[in-house]
Amino acid sequence: MAPVIRCSSLVKSFGSTRALDGLDLEVAPGEVHGFLGPNGAGKTVTMRIVLGLLRADAGEVTLLGGDPWRDAVALHRRLAYVPGDTNLWPNLTGGEIIDVLGGLRGGLDGTRRAALVDRFDLDPRKKARTYSKGNRQKVALVAALASDAELLVLDEPTSGLDPLMEAVFQDCILDARAEGRTVLLSSHILAEVEKLCDRVTIIRQGATVQTGTLDELRHLTRTTVTAEVRESPEALGDLAGVHDLVVDGHRASFDVDSDHLDEAISRLAALGVTSLTSHPPTLEELFLRHYGDELADIGVAGTAAPDDGRP
Amino acid sequence: MRTLTGLWRLVRLILRRDRVRLPVWVLGLAAVVIGSGASLVPLYPEQADIQQYVDLFGDNPALIAFAGPGYGFDNPNLGVILVNETQLWACIGIALMSIFLVNRHTRAEEDAERTEVLRSSIVGRHAPTAAAVVVVAAANVVFAALCGIAFVALGYGATGTLAYAAGLAGCGLVFTGLTAALAQLAGSSRATLGLATAVLGLAFVLRAVGDITGNVLRWLSPIGWAQGVRAYAGEQWWPVALCLAATLLAVAAAFWLATRRDLGSGILPQRPGPARAGTWARSPIGLAVRLQRATIVAWMAGLALMGGVYGSIGEDVEEMIEDNEAFADVLAQMGGADVTDSFFATAVSMQAVLAAGFAISAALRIRSEEAAGRVEPILAGPVGRWRWAWSHLLVAAVGTVLVVAAGGVGVGASYAAVSGDASQVLRLTGAALATVPAVLVLAGVAVALFGASLRLSLVAWAGLGVVVLVELFGELLRLPSWSRVVSPLHHVPGLPAEDLRAVPLLVLTVIAVALTAVGLARFRSRDLQVG
Repeated sequence: MAPVIRCSSLVKSFGSTRALDGLDLEVAPGEVHGFLGPNGAGKTVTMRIVLGLLRADAGEVTLLGGDPWRDAVALHRRLAYVPGDTNLWPNLTGGEIIDVLGGLRGGLDGTRRAALVDRFDLDPRKKARTYSKGNRQKVALVAALASDAELLVLDEPTSGLDPLMEAVFQDCILDARAEGRTVLLSSHILAEVEKLCDRVTIIRQGATVQTGTLDELRHLTRTTVTAEVRESPEALGDLAGVHDLVVDGHRASFDVDSDHLDEAISRLAALGVTSLTSHPPTLEELFLRHYGDELADIGVAGTAAPDDGRP
Repeated sequence: MRTLTGLWRLVRLILRRDRVRLPVWVLGLAAVVIGSGASLVPLYPEQADIQQYVDLFGDNPALIAFAGPGYGFDNPNLGVILVNETQLWACIGIALMSIFLVNRHTRAEEDAERTEVLRSSIVGRHAPTAAAVVVVAAANVVFAALCGIAFVALGYGATGTLAYAAGLAGCGLVFTGLTAALAQLAGSSRATLGLATAVLGLAFVLRAVGDITGNVLRWLSPIGWAQGVRAYAGEQWWPVALCLAATLLAVAAAFWLATRRDLGSGILPQRPGPARAGTWARSPIGLAVRLQRATIVAWMAGLALMGGVYGSIGEDVEEMIEDNEAFADVLAQMGGADVTDSFFATAVSMQAVLAAGFAISAALRIRSEEAAGRVEPILAGPVGRWRWAWSHLLVAAVGTVLVVAAGGVGVGASYAAVSGDASQVLRLTGAALATVPAVLVLAGVAVALFGASLRLSLVAWAGLGVVVLVELFGELLRLPSWSRVVSPLHHVPGLPAEDLRAVPLLVLTVIAVALTAVGLARFRSRDLQVG
């Protein structure tokens, strides 16, 4: 099936700043796609280009099989968007704003709207100027989720929600996926992405650094192993693909590249394993690994992952 | 004074942020006032010339309504003419500057939730308001001082100049304090601006009525106080003290109100609104009407009220002119246009200038929606840019017609009531409506600029500035006659004193539509912008 969103080699500059520098993004029908990157990496700019609010300087964008700049109106009938900074009309109530955003697409399903207002515990009679950031986001979320759009474009939609509301949001996204809707979700809450997303794209400085399912991404990187062995584990450091070995008597912990996992485990077995734990990298570890050098630059310890052992 | 901790740091912050805006306001206003003052000197070289001016305009009600009471006309000097020609407009200019700047640094900051950030640091409760008042008060004083120094250099009397400048600064200070207090009372920066400009309009009308009918109403108006100093005409200083007292009182009220409300809210109550939107929410035009209707109604009420005041003195105009033979002669030479009609033609074009203020701000609603990021969720829905923009612009255009018509109906109805001639309602409303194409040209300029970029679109206000300059000060500043051509209002036949000519109105309409089309075409091909 043709992808719902396809961006290839997008370039966008604002004056002398290059916001996007050859970005690729592909979102398949029916998937929940996580869109990750540090602040200023270009996530919001990409979404705005996908929505036809900005025009790319170079590269190609296809949205639902059309050109988002030229066919904006027709394509927008089929999608709903929640912006990162939800700006609302201060003198309209939350309920009115939901109806404005829904009304422009021909009206919302009344029962669904009521259920969502209820689920998100939103007071629709309050003027928008009195809402907190979280409540403003709820208004935008209810308007988007109550629509029958086949694509949801969500720009950090949970950054202001409390944990309870975040759980509600996650349920709603899982429901949307069950209904066969496609979701593009940018987020900084990695646990949320890990729980919801089928595939993720990680970008940095306006370019895509990795894309794939979480399993694929994990495969590209290292597994953390902690083991106790009967003999001295020092020799493990000589193995190809083993990093950050820490030896404490008979206890060893290290990271190993996925394609060298087999060798490492065989060597461990030869040393006489008495206990073993291993876990695949969390998304957080993946994420930090990609930005490791940035973090090292600003002096965050233990993330640069050079292979120089320990002090 | 713990409530003022951090005051000077905040003052420096405002000066840094407005390092361009403040000089533009102060120097721009000063240039117009000083330029007018300078041009009077060669115009009235002899006492006889001065006397002629007084004879001509002394009892002209239009002049009293749109200039001042004419203190010192019985024993005139050049300063008296200076006051008559410039003081009212300088007062309005300085009041507008004070209103906009104080609101910008108090309520608008609070709406943008920046005050919150400041107040969370080591900053006293009243420091942000006090800092705004200090800076704007200083701007008032600098403006008045610049005018004063220039006038003395031009040869105007020192005492009179001091009184003139003190009156100006006093009027500005009153509006500085008043806006600070209204910012506490209102629920938002828009509401603050609305209330403050309404007070200014009221001040203008009260002193006009007070001066024409010679009653106490003028002393209810800060503009009346500034004129009450009687610069160059036997100065009296107590109105200056009155201004200062009122300013202090208003600032004290602002502080007092601030302790009685929560940050971000107003004193005027907020009621819960409807949980569901009406059918208006189904189309962009419905939304545009919903967003703009309160402003339109407020402007209609304001102009109708102002028109009502002018209409009500229509009868007095005739009586006054009968006593002024010199002026009657001039009018007769000009082709015998009816005095009352000339007065109403001036009133109508004055209202058109005000309506242009509405039209520009209504047209620029598309700008503020875009700048605030509120257009994004709309355009991310199945609404194209064209449809969204023309919905707002159509509401702005219809709103302009309504606002202008309300002003005309106000003049006509109240003149019909005092003269007993019901046909005046239609006649004067028609005269007002003839200005609509010119007003819309100014709105069209705003749209054309908006198409280029958000920042540029604010230059549209300079367009209004040019019109005010050319229409009100063109002759005084002796601007070349071709300069008047740039003012759309210049091309409108001066109804009801002149005959209706359709061609200029058609041409103006075409220009307005063309400017709008250019702006929208460019908007459709540019990126959306924020801030």
